[in-house]
Amino acid sequence: MYTHDGHDLFVIDGHMHFWDANPENWRTKYGESWIKCFYAFHSSLSPAEEVWPFDKFCRYGEAVLVDDLFRNGYVDMGTLNSTYLYEFYKNGFNSHAQNNVIKTKYPNRFLLCGSFDPRDEEAGVDAFRSMMADYPINGLKLYTAEWKDGSRGWRLNDPWAYKYLALAQELGIKNIHVHKGPTVYPLSADAFDVHDVDYAATDFPELNFIVEHVGLPRLDDFCWIAAQESNVYAGLSVAMAFVHLRPRYFGEIIANLLFWLGPDKLCFGSDYAIWSPKWLIEKFMAYQLPEDLKQEYHVDLTLDVKRKILGENMARLYGIDVAAQTAILSRDGIGARLAG
Amino acid sequence: MPHNVPCDFPPGYDGTEILQRLERVLDPELDESVLHLGFVGALRVRAGHADVALQLPTAWCAVNFAYLMAEDVRHALLTVEGIRRATVRLGDHCAAAEIEAAVNDGRPFAEAFPGEGAGSLAALRLTFQRKGFFGRQERLLRDLRATGHSPATICALRLGDASVRNDTIVIRRPGGVPVESGSAEVLLRYLERRAELGLDRSPAAPLIVDLDGAPLSAERLEAHYQTARTVRVAMEANGSFCRALLSLRDANPAAPA
Repeated sequence: MYTHDGHDLFVIDGHMHFWDANPENWRTKYGESWIKCFYAFHSSLSPAEEVWPFDKFCRYGEAVLVDDLFRNGYVDMGTLNSTYLYEFYKNGFNSHAQNNVIKTKYPNRFLLCGSFDPRDEEAGVDAFRSMMADYPINGLKLYTAEWKDGSRGWRLNDPWAYKYLALAQELGIKNIHVHKGPTVYPLSADAFDVHDVDYAATDFPELNFIVEHVGLPRLDDFCWIAAQESNVYAGLSVAMAFVHLRPRYFGEIIANLLFWLGPDKLCFGSDYAIWSPKWLIEKFMAYQLPEDLKQEYHVDLTLDVKRKILGENMARLYGIDVAAQTAILSRDGIGARLAG
Repeated sequence: MPHNVPCDFPPGYDGTEILQRLERVLDPELDESVLHLGFVGALRVRAGHADVALQLPTAWCAVNFAYLMAEDVRHALLTVEGIRRATVRLGDHCAAAEIEAAVNDGRPFAEAFPGEGAGSLAALRLTFQRKGFFGRQERLLRDLRATGHSPATICALRLGDASVRNDTIVIRRPGGVPVESGSAEVLLRYLERRAELGLDRSPAAPLIVDLDGAPLSAERLEAHYQTARTVRVAMEANGSFCRALLSLRDANPAAPA
């Protein structure tokens, strides 16, 4: 909960991780260079005093996460964006099973994302059903650029992706987080291209598609799609980090998103542990959209808009009643200690 | 020319031309010069052999774009008088070995990375040339608006109405007075991309056109501008992200990256 001038703002971190990138978990050299790439994002865009040592960044553990999100970081609930990367990490990077360890301890604090890989085709259907039955899965995180058996990625409108989306919907899933972000290692297939979201969003109008990292570096293509499809939302992680080092671009990105999507479709995300919610939220709350951008785009980042972005929009997507949830959280282990 | 490339030239060698050629190589995704972005880590010339070390923001920069830049750099070097051989190196990039082997041997991407889907990179390059067209045109439109030209005037302008004096665009409509209208570089970059895309550049052609070369009505201009503006913001934000990553490598080359 962030309190501003006596107003409480409920915070859902729509994109955070509980990863294990310890060297013992690296399967290949890619396990090492993956986490080093993340570390480069972390150290180049974080304020200097927020930069971690590399070994802590590889595996920070539960106590650090709980402090950084809930005790010091104003976050009420976090969305565990499971990321598997079994070709790079022996036990996975942060699979739903790894993530569920922390969710089990703090069940009301986390939304847990599962996943599917359409390249598993028929063979993966039973595993998907088991995951849905055995874990408290709230949403799905899809990673279209993931490597698998020589394939460098897939698309949301592949026939088997549609079969899995239909099955997910049948099993009660409403929200699909799709990673479309900075090109990490898609080859010529350009697996982070956002156009496949357009097809899936049209063909699955009952599902919501939260495009993580607002499609950066495809912000423009993302805006055209999200402006047309009522069920496409912006996940702001990565873009959020600009608020510190590149505040002007942050303002321009936010102005464009407000212009094309409006204030009800933008959702905060930290991408923790790449960036930490405490400084992101403090700088975001202190940030005012520059006057020239307000006038040019006819939008504003008011307290009301910030409240929607920080938590209300994501709460609505997941059917969370903020008042009731606040009461529940005040009584769990973390909430009780915060109050004490 | 703003650059800080460590150059190693033979005694008495004039590196102006080679640096000018390199300056014209763009990161296709960002539409900015690789030299200005700081991607050229080192340049060496010996006995007609040019050797360039590219340093991209991360070891994971997309392979297709890395390939395009390496190929363009090699071609640019080979157009320089006296350069008979050119080698491009990619340092710690995750696909450095494959890209270097192919590019320095003049082999196409599809051959170097069989089975990576797209095959030719021509379509990818065109997509980003078209995005760059919007980005460059948006800056021109911004300058024209800021210097008081109305939408109707902007849409009525012909290429022949725009000229460059020193660093400034001068707009002079038939029978009108000249109006200083922003940065000459903005106009020149826009016209250059227009030519690359094969759009009409005759003096009678409309100054502001869409990607098909068609003129815009004053009514359509605002929506067109809003679109172009978002493309420009996306490209600049990406460039800013890449610069932030690269500055870290420059500051601490020993850091894991």
